[in-house]
Amino acid sequence: MLTSGAVAVGVDAVHAATIPENCLVRNDWVCPLYVETRSSVLLEALGQHLYLVLVSLAVGAALAVPLAVLAHRVRRARGLTLGVTTVLYTIPSLAMFILLLPFVGLSATTVVIALALYSLTILVRNILVGLDGVDPEVRDAATGMGLSPWRTLWRVEAPLALPSAMAGLRVAAVSTVALATVGAIIGYGGLGNLITSGYQANFNAQVLTASVLCVVLAVAFDLLLLGAQRLATPWRRS
Amino acid sequence: MRTRTSLLMAGLASAVMALSSCAASDVQSGGTQATSAATSGGSGETVVVGGPNFTEAAVMENMYALLLQDAGFTTEIKAVDNREVYFGELASGGIDVVPEYAATLAEYLNQQANGEGAALIATNDAAATVAAAQPLAEAQGVTLLDPAEAASQNAFAVTQDYATQNNLTTLSDLGALGQPVTLAATEECPQRPFCQPGLESTYSIQVGSLLPLGYGSPATKQAVQSGQAQLGLVGSTDGTLGQFGLVVLQDDKRLQLADNLVPAVNTASASDPKIAEALNKLAGVLTTADLTALNGQVDGERQLPEDVAKAYLQDKGLIQG
Repeated sequence: MLTSGAVAVGVDAVHAATIPENCLVRNDWVCPLYVETRSSVLLEALGQHLYLVLVSLAVGAALAVPLAVLAHRVRRARGLTLGVTTVLYTIPSLAMFILLLPFVGLSATTVVIALALYSLTILVRNILVGLDGVDPEVRDAATGMGLSPWRTLWRVEAPLALPSAMAGLRVAAVSTVALATVGAIIGYGGLGNLITSGYQANFNAQVLTASVLCVVLAVAFDLLLLGAQRLATPWRRS
Repeated sequence: MRTRTSLLMAGLASAVMALSSCAASDVQSGGTQATSAATSGGSGETVVVGGPNFTEAAVMENMYALLLQDAGFTTEIKAVDNREVYFGELASGGIDVVPEYAATLAEYLNQQANGEGAALIATNDAAATVAAAQPLAEAQGVTLLDPAEAASQNAFAVTQDYATQNNLTTLSDLGALGQPVTLAATEECPQRPFCQPGLESTYSIQVGSLLPLGYGSPATKQAVQSGQAQLGLVGSTDGTLGQFGLVVLQDDKRLQLADNLVPAVNTASASDPKIAEALNKLAGVLTTADLTALNGQVDGERQLPEDVAKAYLQDKGLIQG
């Protein structure tokens, strides 16, 4: 134990003679051999990342729509809804995970709950802005035509609020792709697991490859949602 | 147009559902590494090996998992970020086995039980440290098994050039040099008795200023390499010091506590004696030099922790095939 330092150096030196010469060992940032040898690790991390983002956004959107409608319809619920969803965003992720651990344990669900709650801040606000932006005369006309409040919401207000809601979803998607990496704190961070362990092990190729995949994923989400928005709102395209 | 919009939204929704459900099965099989044992004779229950996610811990977790598989258990590895997260899970049975560091764990438990200022229970002897920590661990439902010879503890590194110029091999030599040094270490170093206060009182090393860059992190090693700091806090089993041109100064007055690797298991969920038997195999075999070499194979040669762990255990005849 006393001489561990000296022994460590000795072992290192013996080892140096047999180390193969390649971009992994050189610790290059760009290393095709990394992608080749770790393709299964990368796919696994990407799958987990995709899972975290999709489920969090689905849960977040499912919660945000009724919350935004509530805030839009009921004056007194408005401040409370906006206040609570904003305060949620200020909880540090480490604290959020540790608070959730006793209830859901070390699982992907813990990360999904945290990400879904964080996405509410963006989603509720944007859906609400969309609903607020509907011209009161249009709403009056719908009522005048005999549409019930729920049919007015679905047929008239929802399509008109869609552009703003979709803009919010795009921001939420991109931010969730980035935020999912903090799940690495409890071992469920998708590409974040690779970025964290890569940093700790001074493994440049791993850090860069995982980061680039994160950016690609975020851009892909943004483009897909932009496409979906254009298809869903054909009247805005001329 | 209205129908088209609703159809599209419904389509999008179902696509999200489909994607998330297929990704869900991915996570179950991939997010954690579940591996079933090929050998017969075990009870077949799944043992969850958990712990931190840095290289040495990953190597240890894989060795524990392979030893357990060899004894007939199915294993799963859950690597997380820090002790605050995994120790609670170990105590509650969410994790069954963790590779721990004897002295660090002893003091973690000591502080939890007796408060921040409690007198130290860890010493520089591994067996005594484990014996002192055992009652505190058991109070939380955790049992410590046999410590290995391998110890991964605080070590202080300088550049090879600095050591040669000033003729340094030990920390005492650095103290005798009498020059104030900049230390790259953890943020807590000024408060930890085996970090800055120990360097100052035991070795009379004058720490001029401290760069809070972490324990053996790339940033710490780079700071010493580039000369921003003269001394860096690293691990005694760091396999990559050579890459940074660093050498460890010997702890000739045995300042450091015995941070030997020791399996910590959940007393209830890992009560099967076969678990202890399998994990204790490593105690008489694994040395500090071995562990340094294994870390070097992962951090230097970029082999996968599971491959490195398997090759070592096969080489030592601790597992079959």
